[in-house]
Amino acid sequence: MKIPDRIVTAALAACCLLGLPAAAQAADLPPLSHSLTVLEPKTAPELKFKDLDGRMHDLAELRGKVVLINFWATWCPPCRREMPSMERLTQTLKGKPFVALAVDVGEDADTIETFISQLDTTLSFPILLDTRGHSMKAWKVAGLPTTFLVDKQGRIVASAIGGREFDHPEIVKTIRELLEN
Amino acid sequence: MRLPTLTLLAAWPFVVFATESSVDAETGLSTWQTDTQGVQVRLTQISPDQARAFYQARGFSPEAAERYASECVFMTVVRNVGDRPIEHRLADWRYLSAGQPPRSIRSKDEWEAIWIQANAAETARIAFTWAQFPTEQSFAPGDWNQGMTTYSVPRGGYFDLQFVWRTEDRTLSGKLEQVRCADENT
Repeated sequence: MKIPDRIVTAALAACCLLGLPAAAQAADLPPLSHSLTVLEPKTAPELKFKDLDGRMHDLAELRGKVVLINFWATWCPPCRREMPSMERLTQTLKGKPFVALAVDVGEDADTIETFISQLDTTLSFPILLDTRGHSMKAWKVAGLPTTFLVDKQGRIVASAIGGREFDHPEIVKTIRELLEN
Repeated sequence: MRLPTLTLLAAWPFVVFATESSVDAETGLSTWQTDTQGVQVRLTQISPDQARAFYQARGFSPEAAERYASECVFMTVVRNVGDRPIEHRLADWRYLSAGQPPRSIRSKDEWEAIWIQANAAETARIAFTWAQFPTEQSFAPGDWNQGMTTYSVPRGGYFDLQFVWRTEDRTLSGKLEQVRCADENT
């Protein structure tokens, strides 16, 4: 029995509406890493965007806190896969001077909210909107996802390219050490 | 005793550079992967329908999405599985298919020119740019990334991909062999 092409196309369109094609979501997915690359501390570039509720977030106002900045997009499979671990990390460090910021690149609020509504996890950290990808050049981001760790002095001290399990003990340990400094 | 040792040594290069392939039972799409000298490269077929649907969902017209889907599209993953930093430039990669000289992968800039000429919306072009495999990147150990790459190969046609990277001032390369372009109805 041949399935009509229009049904196949509609099904594919639905599966591709948010994420990359099914091939990229098959069982044999590239594993998420748990390494952070320690960098020579350098002052973080400006980062100032509104979140989904229209509230402005400015990295410069977060001095005294350790900040995890994750550049992502809803269509990026590893970005989607690492998002729940960012929430678990946030819960693990609740009450500490730690903030996670997820900066969505190139998408509108409706697209992001559709994605969030499909997650099993409720995200408590802010999702910032860089609809035109303006921050990518200043932060030297070549691909998504890319993540930076900013210390209490506002300096980039570590980075990660590609999907991560953010609540992995090694990453939590690195952040705890920064929190104690 | 000597013969097995010699046999192993003779086989070693083929083990190191071997291309593994697998088929996803659910989608019928194939993946090719190789690990060599601390770098892992993986190509997974993206079917023409998937490419059309993905880009139409991001604001491309059916005609523009069709232009992209007419190429042979692969989800491309590069991972630093070694213990030294690496860097790569997509412009250094080449693919070889029957009867053709080695060709480079169409760059984001070349695609951008095509989309501007086709009057594609800026939001669609931004999404397109970030969905492609990065033009150049440096990976610390454990870093990895993925994105789409395209090849001008007929449906069902085969090609070899030679990928190139640098580490500690040395230029290294590896190869994925007999990669097959997805059929129209995969």
